[in-house]
Amino acid sequence: MNRLAAAAIVVATAFAIVVPFFLKPFGIYLLSLWAVLTIAAIGLNLTLGYAGQVSLAQGAFIGIGAYTTALLTQAGVPYALAFVAAGALSFAIGWLLGYPALRVQHHYLAFVTLAFTTLVFLVLRNEEWLTGGIYGISGIMRPVFFGWSTAKPLDFYFLCLGVLIALSLATWWMVRSPWGRAFVALRENPVRALSLGLDTRRYTLMVFAIGSSLGGLSGALFAPLVQFLEPASFGLNRSFDLLLMVIVGGSGYFFGPFVGALVSVLLPEWTRIAEGYYLLVYAALVMVLMPLCPAGVIGLLERVLKALNRRPGTAASARVVEQ
Amino acid sequence: MVHFFQLLLSGLATGAIYALVAVGFSLLWQTSQTINFAQGEFVMLPAFFVLMAMNAGAPLWLACLIAIALSILLLGVVFKFVIVDPMLRHGVLPLVISTIALALFMKEAVKDFYSSQAQPFPALVAEGDVNLLGAVVSAQSLVVLAVAIVTVVGLNLLLNKTRLGRSMQATAQNPTLARILGIPVRRMVLYTFLVNAVLVAIASILISPIYLAKFTNGETLGLAAFVAAIIGGFNQVRGAVLGGVIVGILDNLSAAYLSSQYRAAFPLLILIVVILLRPQGLFGRAQERTV
Amino acid sequence: MSAVLQVSNLRKSFGGITAVNDVSFEVEEGEILGIIGPNGSGKSTLFNCVLGQLLPTSGEVRIEGKPVTGMRPCDLNQLGVSRTFQLLQIFPQLSVRDNLVLAGQEHQGTMFSRLVGRSDAGLTGAAEQMISFFRLSHLADDQAGSLSYGQQKLLDAAMAFMAGPRLVLLDEPAGGVNLTMLAHLRERLETYQRERKATFVVIEHQMEFVMALCTRVLVLAEGRIIAEGKPADVRRDPAVIAAYLGH
Repeated sequence: MNRLAAAAIVVATAFAIVVPFFLKPFGIYLLSLWAVLTIAAIGLNLTLGYAGQVSLAQGAFIGIGAYTTALLTQAGVPYALAFVAAGALSFAIGWLLGYPALRVQHHYLAFVTLAFTTLVFLVLRNEEWLTGGIYGISGIMRPVFFGWSTAKPLDFYFLCLGVLIALSLATWWMVRSPWGRAFVALRENPVRALSLGLDTRRYTLMVFAIGSSLGGLSGALFAPLVQFLEPASFGLNRSFDLLLMVIVGGSGYFFGPFVGALVSVLLPEWTRIAEGYYLLVYAALVMVLMPLCPAGVIGLLERVLKALNRRPGTAASARVVEQ
Repeated sequence: MVHFFQLLLSGLATGAIYALVAVGFSLLWQTSQTINFAQGEFVMLPAFFVLMAMNAGAPLWLACLIAIALSILLLGVVFKFVIVDPMLRHGVLPLVISTIALALFMKEAVKDFYSSQAQPFPALVAEGDVNLLGAVVSAQSLVVLAVAIVTVVGLNLLLNKTRLGRSMQATAQNPTLARILGIPVRRMVLYTFLVNAVLVAIASILISPIYLAKFTNGETLGLAAFVAAIIGGFNQVRGAVLGGVIVGILDNLSAAYLSSQYRAAFPLLILIVVILLRPQGLFGRAQERTV
Repeated sequence: MSAVLQVSNLRKSFGGITAVNDVSFEVEEGEILGIIGPNGSGKSTLFNCVLGQLLPTSGEVRIEGKPVTGMRPCDLNQLGVSRTFQLLQIFPQLSVRDNLVLAGQEHQGTMFSRLVGRSDAGLTGAAEQMISFFRLSHLADDQAGSLSYGQQKLLDAAMAFMAGPRLVLLDEPAGGVNLTMLAHLRERLETYQRERKATFVVIEHQMEFVMALCTRVLVLAEGRIIAEGKPADVRRDPAVIAAYLGH
C-alpha cells in the first residue's frame, strides 16, 4: 500500500473518532448507520467485486441478523452470543442458498437471491407469532458489556465503529492471504484457475457465505441501532440500496464499500428537498456512472492519481503508485 | 373437479402471459447476452402508457397502439442503443447491474411521477362468463389465452417461416457464422429488441386488467419470467413458452390449494427445485463443463 | 504397472459433428508423446476431454489406472495432472512471482490452513527455484502482462510445473515463439522431464519441435488416429503425408 493511501486511512480514522463529539444525536445516528451499512456493503463487495456474483439478498441477510439478534436478546441471551448467532445463521443460509445456484454457469445466483428476498420478507410479515408480523419488534435494548452501557448515541457509535474496524481488519487479512490471490484468479480467468487446482465453485460459495454472514452481523448491530424492526426495512429496496452502494463506491476495491455507504447514507439528506426521490436519483446516478466509470468512485480516484502521476514535474510523480 | 378445471384454465391464461415475457427475455439472452433484469418493469410500464393516452382522450384501442409504439421506441430502440450497447463493451456483469439500476429507476419513476396507488385498468372484453364444458370461465381469461396463443403462433411463424426470422435465429445461434453468411447481425439483434418490446407491451395490456396497473408489478412478473425462462432452459424459446405455462398453472393451483400468504414465494421453490434437479431446464442442453 | 494415461474409445460429438472419433492410446511413465495432425483433426478437443474441460460423449480416461472421465479440471490437477494453454492464460496484473505462487498454492495444505497461514503459502522458495530454472530471475517482480510473448510462454510452462505434476499436457507450446526462445523452451522442457521423470503429452504443429522433443508420435486426422510410432517413422508414413497434403 502506498503512502498516500495509508495517510488517507489515518486521516479518515481520526475523523471517524473525533467528529462525532461535535455532532448532534441525529448526526451520530447517521454516522452509526454508515458504519453498520458499511459492514453489509463489505460483505456484498466480497460477493460482487471479488467473486463476480450478483446477490440481491444482502438486505434479507441484514433482516435475518437483525431479527435473530432482537429475538435472542429479548429472550435473555447475552448480546455477544446473539451477535455470533446472527453471523453463523446467515453464513449457513448463504451456503445452503448458494450451493445449488453456483453449480451452473449463468447468473443464477441473482435470480435465486431475488426470490429468496421475497421469501424472507413474506416470512417476516406472515409469521406473527415469531416476528410480530407487520407490527414488527419494538423496544430493542442497546447492549451492555461488563457494566458499560451503549444506550447513549456516542457509546453505541463507538461500538459500531469498533466492530467495523475489527471486521475490516479480518477482511483485509483474508484478501492478503492466498485466498485473495485465489479471488483474483477466480475473477480474471476461472478456466486457468481450475487448471491450477483451484476449486472455483468452492471459493465462490465460500465468498458468498462469508459475504452473507457479514450481512447478518450488520443486522445484529442494526437492531439495537434503530431499536424497532419491521419487515419492510429488509426487502428488495434494501438489497438494491446495498448493491448500488457497492457499485458507486467501487466494486472490487477494498475501500469502495466505505465510500458507497457514505453516499447512500447522505443522499437522502441531500435529496431532502425532493422527498422520496432518493432511490430514483440513486438509480439514475448508477445508470449514468456505469458506462462512464464502472469502477466507481475509488476507481475514478485511482485513474485520477495515475493521470496525475504521469504529468512531469509534479511532486506526485516522484512517488510510484502501487496497486 | 370443475373448480380444478377453472383454475387450470385461468392458470393457463396467466401462464400464457408469463410465456410471452419469458420468450422475450430468452430471445434477448440468446442473441446478445443481455440478461434484462428490468424485464418485469418492461411489462409494468406499457400499461401506464395506455392509461396516460386514455387520460389524454384516446379510446382504448388507440391507446394500446400508442403504448405499443412507445414501447418499441423506448424499450426497444432507446434501451438497446443507450443502455445495452455501451455496457456490453464492459462485459455481461456490468450490463446486469445496469439493468438492475434501470428496473429500480423505472419503478421509482412510475411511483413518483404517476402514482403509487394501484390503477384500475380497462378489461379488453366486457365482464362476463362463458360456459365451457360445464365450467364457468371468465371471458377475459379466454380472450387473454386467445391473444397470447395468436402472438406465440405469430412469433413462431416469424422466426421459422420468414427469411427475416431465420436470419434472427442464425444470429442467435452463431453470430460469427451469420456475419460470414452476409446476415446483417447488428440489425438482427436490434430486431430482437423490438420483438421483445412488442411482446412485453402485449403482455402488459393483457395482465393489467387482472393485476391492476401498479408500479410494483414488475417484481412478480419479472420473477415469474425468469423462472419460466430457466425452467424452459435459458436459451430456448420453446422452453420459455412451456416454462411460462407451467409457472402460471402451478402458481394458480398453489394459491388455491396451499397457503395464499406464501403465494409469491412459490416461484422460488420451483426455481430451487429446477436448479437442483435439472439446471439446464427442460429443453436446454447439458452445459459443457466450464464450472 | 498401469500406464500414466490411458484413453479408451474416446468419442466427442457436437451435434452432428464428431470431433473425436473412437480414439484410444496409452502413455507410459517418462514418455514424451507428441500428438500432431492437420487443423480440425480434433487434437484440442481430445485434450479438453482428457482434462475435464469438456464432457466426452463416450469413452474412458484413466490416470494410473484410476478412472477420471469427466472429472473437474481442478480435481484432476490435484491428482497430479497439469496443462499449458494454446492461448496464453497467465494473470497479467499479478507479478511473475505471484503467478507462480498462485499456481502452487492450491496444493499447499487445506483451504482453511491457507486462510490462516502465510500469505505466500510458504511457496516463495519454490517460486524462486522455478524462476531461476526458466531463467526469468530479472523479471520476478514485474507484472506478468509486461513480459514478451516468449517470456509469457515460459511463465505458462513454469506455472504448469509449480505443483510438481506427474503428467503434463502441453497445448502448442511452441506457437508464436521465436527460434532462440524456442530452443531455450525445448531445452528446459527436456531438462525438467529428465530430472523429475515426468510424462509429457504435447500437441504441436511445428514438426521440428515435435521431432526433436518427442519419443513417440500419434497422428490424428478427422478425429481418428491414422498413425503411431517413432517420430522419424511417422514422418515418412504415406497416410500421414496424404492427410497433411490433403488439407
